[in-house]
Amino acid sequence: MTRLEATRVVVSAAREAPIVASLGHPAYDLFTAGDRPQNFYTWGSMGMASSIGLGLALAKPEARVYVVDGDGALLMNLGSLATIGLLRPPNLVLVVMDNGAYATTGGQSSPTALGADLEAAARAMRVEAATVRTEDDLRARLIGERREPLVVVAKVSESAPTARPPLDCVFIKQRFMAAIGNPEAAAHVAGRA
Amino acid sequence: MRERPAWASGVSAGLYAAGCRDAVYVPDNPLSHVLAEIGERYRDVRLALATREEEAVGIAAGLYLGGRRPAVLLQSSGLGNALNAVTSLVVPYQIPMLIVVSMRGDVGEWNAAQVPMGRAVRPILDAIGIAHATIESPADAERIVALTAATAFGTRMAAACLVPRRITSAPAP
Repeated sequence: MTRLEATRVVVSAAREAPIVASLGHPAYDLFTAGDRPQNFYTWGSMGMASSIGLGLALAKPEARVYVVDGDGALLMNLGSLATIGLLRPPNLVLVVMDNGAYATTGGQSSPTALGADLEAAARAMRVEAATVRTEDDLRARLIGERREPLVVVAKVSESAPTARPPLDCVFIKQRFMAAIGNPEAAAHVAGRA
Repeated sequence: MRERPAWASGVSAGLYAAGCRDAVYVPDNPLSHVLAEIGERYRDVRLALATREEEAVGIAAGLYLGGRRPAVLLQSSGLGNALNAVTSLVVPYQIPMLIVVSMRGDVGEWNAAQVPMGRAVRPILDAIGIAHATIESPADAERIVALTAATAFGTRMAAACLVPRRITSAPAP
């Protein structure tokens, strides 16, 4: 399964739900798999996608929140797993696209290529977790009611993205907030800001 | 209800008055008074512990995207830990949040390891374009925090409120 194929599964499972993407190739693949206003593409802040998703899940308990992270990015913010295990939003699904490499920066091997186990790390922080290797297994993990947060480590091969999301960060934010029911401009006009 | 230092009551009241109902924090000794005050007096404020200050900023960004008005409480040393999220997420996406900085390394400091970052806080905030205000007296705390938060959420840019050590290290009344 390539990362793009796995990302298509996430987009399909998410329906209208928000998806937060880590910078670089995960965000590029999310754009390619299906650009939609409910996609929040990060262009920096490596490691923060899971934290943004956590905050969003706390703010909107009625919405399922998906995060498309990378193995290197999650390793940069591994404490995030402890915080997810502490706050336990049941509506957070963190999909880690684990290709064992820092693909966006040239394909250098990451610790997971040599056996570092992010599923085990999540479980150690009291977060339910699974590792999947096929699109069917990934799809099966993403559907259904949930009472606990979930980490799915998707073992993927690199998919060499050829398209990129919009570069305008404020556009990404405002489009996203309007799509998930928090139109920023309306709040401003109404003087609630 | 235990007596809190006036500055801590003021910071909590200002944060609450500004509409913040989420506060993400990394523990700090003086800020423990603020956390205790919020926990006792402002029960509808959700307190969330983060493992690192950068993570706290990321969580706060997500809270804002979800329609909340987040505050981040951290020690000045932790501002260094948070800088990449501030400069590559909060600033370019114009994600507002109130950042309350418990200062170390300013007058009253005893630990040399706290001094370099403490001295750098204001130049760094200026360099990355984060507005900041300093609480000059305990009686000022509520107004300054509320104003800082109003600036952040009104202009849609994060703003910081610094609480100097000369205030936080004063003995409680």
